[in-house]
Amino acid sequence: MGELLRIEHLWKTFPGQVALCDVGLEVDAGEVHALVGQNGSGKSTLIKVLCGYHQPDAGDAQAWVKGEPLTLGDGQAAAAAGIRFVHQDLGLVGSISAVENIALGVGYETGRFGRIRWRQEVKRTRAALEGLGLGNIDVKAPVSSLPPAQRTAVAIARALTGWQYGASLLVLDEPTATLPGDDVERLFEVIQHLRAQGISILYVSHHLDEVFELADRVTVLRDGKKVDTMLVRELDHSKLVELIVGHHIDTTTVSESSVTGRPVLSVRGLEGGTVRGVDLDVYPGEIVGLAGITGSGREDVLDLIAGQMPRDDGEVVVDGSHIDNYQPWDGIEAGMAFVPAERAVRGVIGTMNVRENLSLCDVARFVRAGRLSRRAELAETKQWIERLSIKTSGTEAPIGSLSGGNQQKVLFGKALRLAPKVLLLDEPTQGIDIGAKDQIHRLIDEAAASGMATLVASTDTDELVRLCHRIVVLANGRVRTTLVGDQISTERIEHAQLESARRAS
Amino acid sequence: MIHKLRFDKYSALYLWALFMVYFGVTQSDTFLTWTTFKLVVIENVITGVIALAFLVPLTTGTYDLSVGAMMSMSLVVSAYLSSHGTVSPVLAMLIGLGACAVAGFISGFFVVKLNVNSFIATLGMTEVATAFILHTSQQSITSAFPQSFMDIGSKPIFGLPRFVYYLAILAIVLWFVLEHTPLGRYMFATGGNPEAARLAGVKTGRLIWGSLIASAVIAGFAGTIYAWKIGNYAQAVGPGYLFPAIAAVFFGASQLKSRPNVWGTLIALYALAWGIKGLQLTFSSNTIWIEPLFQGVSLLAAVSLASRQGIVRVPKPKKHKVGEDEPPADAAATEPPVATSTATD
Repeated sequence: MGELLRIEHLWKTFPGQVALCDVGLEVDAGEVHALVGQNGSGKSTLIKVLCGYHQPDAGDAQAWVKGEPLTLGDGQAAAAAGIRFVHQDLGLVGSISAVENIALGVGYETGRFGRIRWRQEVKRTRAALEGLGLGNIDVKAPVSSLPPAQRTAVAIARALTGWQYGASLLVLDEPTATLPGDDVERLFEVIQHLRAQGISILYVSHHLDEVFELADRVTVLRDGKKVDTMLVRELDHSKLVELIVGHHIDTTTVSESSVTGRPVLSVRGLEGGTVRGVDLDVYPGEIVGLAGITGSGREDVLDLIAGQMPRDDGEVVVDGSHIDNYQPWDGIEAGMAFVPAERAVRGVIGTMNVRENLSLCDVARFVRAGRLSRRAELAETKQWIERLSIKTSGTEAPIGSLSGGNQQKVLFGKALRLAPKVLLLDEPTQGIDIGAKDQIHRLIDEAAASGMATLVASTDTDELVRLCHRIVVLANGRVRTTLVGDQISTERIEHAQLESARRAS
Repeated sequence: MIHKLRFDKYSALYLWALFMVYFGVTQSDTFLTWTTFKLVVIENVITGVIALAFLVPLTTGTYDLSVGAMMSMSLVVSAYLSSHGTVSPVLAMLIGLGACAVAGFISGFFVVKLNVNSFIATLGMTEVATAFILHTSQQSITSAFPQSFMDIGSKPIFGLPRFVYYLAILAIVLWFVLEHTPLGRYMFATGGNPEAARLAGVKTGRLIWGSLIASAVIAGFAGTIYAWKIGNYAQAVGPGYLFPAIAAVFFGASQLKSRPNVWGTLIALYALAWGIKGLQLTFSSNTIWIEPLFQGVSLLAAVSLASRQGIVRVPKPKKHKVGEDEPPADAAATEPPVATSTATD
């Protein structure tokens, strides 16, 4: 295979920080090339230089596409060379259709009096999607009403439409970050389809499983430096993790169970959303995992327990006291703390700083003589920043200036400082890098060890295996299987999930 | 050096100082006089109160466009009741404020319970209140308020009428509540991300509802001040104060902090007021156009200056995205050019 893209000696410095340090990258024609690394390793910066958002430092940086020199930091040059991008948030306009979204990129075909030739547009959109092996998408519906995998496909179709200079390279930045499990498979089919047409893919991801499933080669970045580029088939999971983190992480620690006494959280006949009758008991010090494919009820159980979604039926008992249909504040009052999924949308308050986000749930604690005591609040905030080793420029840093993993730690601090009896965690390490993930797992271990009853819902099976004493697999809104002790393994969970899904259909 | 001076966060104060010096020199016999000072202070009290009324729900991400109409409504209710002699002027004023509270409650019902966009709900309320005002104005209203009532608000203390001090008290109370109590923190959280705030146990619906009631009553109080200041009833004076008030709030949101705040609002308001006064003195006649021109230009300039740094964070309704995984934490301190980062409060 020929070489498609070559980058050499790329440096990028921000004030006070070297983001990319003499980085090189070679992508072959027709390969899926994975780019991995922790947050802050420089992979996003590399993509942003490639698409022209950042300028590289003046110096030796050079790049070639098919042997032709490419000016880095020039978006138009990259586009002319046939490099296209699908960014993490897809960049689609949700309220308009696939047809209109694609036309936003390449313009409308117009007829007399400037009338848009809608029929042509629809045809073009269908053709583009069929080219991805997805002809059955409703191209006239608002994009926001499409399932996530179809939205991603529309974004890819838009990137590839109007490609007058010949296909060369498609850059996918975290395309699966917001995709539910089975949609990921569909996206993979699209990617395979593109590869079969000779298009190279540069695939940026946190999910190492995807790298193993999809990629031919992988380039690992760490602290702005290229660690290595390797053939994926010559690697195994733990070796890759080691390359990314720079040291060995023990992923096999299984937490010690320390179940005692009465259940502190007891759920009977819970119904609402996709949940159709779930019973659960969680004991002090226990970590219980909730597994299940999308639509199994896994995604709604915690919202129902936390009081975010109204319950249709069922009973929730926290530490002996029954609570009827309630609102989130009643749940908090009863001793529950909830760290929701989708950090950016449901977790952090972007207009506030680290301190304000951290202390939001119980800010009344700092009231001295009728007013908030800044000193008391600062003291406690500093404690938590230290305790959770949150990387921030200070208590007053806007929450958006922190990396995803550190934002998540702030949200953990926000929950833990309530000293809850029950800790509810929905996708606790969604979209964060492997180092921060490990730290958060340790925090969960510690919380359980201190006697909290913890309920974790996650699509990351490895995470559940790593954390939980007991795993409840849901299907069709009900508990299908419970795995305990030795039964807990990735294979068993995935098997149970798929088994129940098959039986359901 | 430029950064040290913080033109973005203190632009209004610099502007204010500039006006004082410039007009102090060019209009030396009139500008820096007690009469001018008094005039500027008094002339802007009502706008200030309306601005604070608008500010309260804005912290929860809610727009109350009915503040001008609420001012007129409280005025018409108290004027009507006191001129018909059935109740004392003070009671009439309180009933006027009560009417505003009811209107705010109804707006709140639409916004919170029926999920109507606050912009639309309060616009609708404006029209309904206007209809009420017009209808009531058709009845005979003797226009003058009794002196005993006037004294409550306009009797001078240290040469300034009492209502100037009432504005100061109102500002201090709101500042305290917004910046130094859990209630204020919850309001800003609601404005920042209603869903996240709700999940964190903040009673967002009640806060939005309550803030609309509060803004209606505060705006109604502006009507009372109008009565104290002018002494006569006038129909539909409120809406004229809406734009200058909103301009002050948004200009003020770029000052001191990077969110709407009490002192920023008042500083912005008075900085502009002195500029306008200076220009009026300079161009002595036919100067009615100066005020809107000046307010518009300053608002655009100040907010542009601040937005360039990405610091004005006026709450947006509903969901919005926060920073992605990059940039890394250690880059935060150094403000990479990409992130819309904020100077610390």
